[in-house]
Amino acid sequence: MQPDDTIRDEAALWAVRTGDPAFADWDGFTAWLEQAPAHGAAYDAAVLAAEEAAALLAPASNSSNLAAALPAANDQDFALRPAPARRRWAMPALAAAVAGLVALGTWQALGTGTSHVTAPGETRLVALGDGSTIALAGGSRLVVEDQRSARLEAGRALFTIRHDAADPFVLEAGGDRLVDAGTVFDVALGRGRLDVEVAEGAVIVNPDTVAIRLDPGERATRRPGGWQVGAVEPDAVGEWREGRITFREASLADIADQLGRASGLAFAAAPGSGDERLSGSVTLDAARRDPASLGPLLGVTIRREGDRWVLASP
Amino acid sequence: MAGEGRFLPAAHRFFPVQGVRLPQPTGPATLEAQFLAHRGELLRFLAARGAGDAAEDLLHELWLKLSAQGEIAVMAPRPYLMRAANRLMIDRHRSLTQGARRDAEWHALASEAQGASPAPAADRVVAGRQALARVEAALASLGERPAAIFRRHRVEDIPQRIIAEEFGVSLSTVEADLRRAYRALAELKERGDEV
Repeated sequence: MQPDDTIRDEAALWAVRTGDPAFADWDGFTAWLEQAPAHGAAYDAAVLAAEEAAALLAPASNSSNLAAALPAANDQDFALRPAPARRRWAMPALAAAVAGLVALGTWQALGTGTSHVTAPGETRLVALGDGSTIALAGGSRLVVEDQRSARLEAGRALFTIRHDAADPFVLEAGGDRLVDAGTVFDVALGRGRLDVEVAEGAVIVNPDTVAIRLDPGERATRRPGGWQVGAVEPDAVGEWREGRITFREASLADIADQLGRASGLAFAAAPGSGDERLSGSVTLDAARRDPASLGPLLGVTIRREGDRWVLASP
Repeated sequence: MAGEGRFLPAAHRFFPVQGVRLPQPTGPATLEAQFLAHRGELLRFLAARGAGDAAEDLLHELWLKLSAQGEIAVMAPRPYLMRAANRLMIDRHRSLTQGARRDAEWHALASEAQGASPAPAADRVVAGRQALARVEAALASLGERPAAIFRRHRVEDIPQRIIAEEFGVSLSTVEADLRRAYRALAELKERGDEV
């Protein structure tokens, strides 16, 4: 093999490895880069080529690709646990299937944008290039169309958006449109429910229909039946990034769903748990260290069933 | 609190949250402290990554980007910071090359695919189809599995570990397939740029 060939191969492999969220060998990568300036150049070339090829292929994803992807959407989109355990974990699997279907449908319809997916327990920061950023929580899927438009397809994200009155940022989430006016706001999409919380600036919810304006310290929740508006401490908006999760009038299934996405552990609501609504605030650290300790905080019982934690009414 | 006098379908107020607030866990040190602790490594990485004399400036730019997020508790600060530095260099390289060959057909296409061009002219559409066909051909020449794995990972954004499960192969096989795909695409692009 020519030296050039070796460099290209190595560069391609580093491009693959560093593209994995779990990549940790930054020392090895630095050492390789320091061997020759040509290494960095070859690495950049490989990263950019793969990125551009993916952008070209995205709109071309045809029905056969979608069909190939479909079975996997059932249970593999969001969970990293061994498959058999996941299949018994029916509720989040269903949520993932729905999210997967939505995402696939969108690819087919629009076919543009860059999608970002986080595994449960993983978080990611997406920079939009104009100084705006989106912090993506665990078990979430976000498609960035361009610097001024994005679509939250599952899970939760905190948006920090640069203000431009002439070109407002537009977010689609679960069929609703949120238009910002220079803003820090948090959006969580869950089972039939959308939560929007504003820390700074303002957000207009569905400007063409209800046109609810949310100012700092306000939040809105959409459930079947309509929107509810309430207050939120601006400091508490996006607090999931600091490892805190707050539930407001959430069902057990909602709570299990959110805990699962945020922690990467498997939570489920006990079968037959009703419509009761719970409020509370827990730290992710506690949830990871000892899931059973959440019980008294939320006023529920939590028991272990195999590798998942089942929430039930006391 | 605004809201009075507004029309809200089916609206009723939430009660204040009655939740229990635990004291904050003793989490990792602030991102700023972490950034300072890893400053030397980051600088070295940026230099190795091709930043040259601009390494200090880029380190500053990196900090501006990171600090714009506000306070973030990061579980593993070092990989987070290194990843951010790497991303910064990729973005920089992209904007430099894009400036340099704005007219290159291959690239015009990729931008179109990203929605940068609202109304592609007919000849660009044709060029786009050709570029897409070349990418598809380059991937197809590697065989069915590498091409499928590349799509699954890069177009559908599925993590490598899950792809390994799906295809029933080891993680290193997924890595090797992707490596071949990246390399083939880099060579395709190199040839295209020379035209």
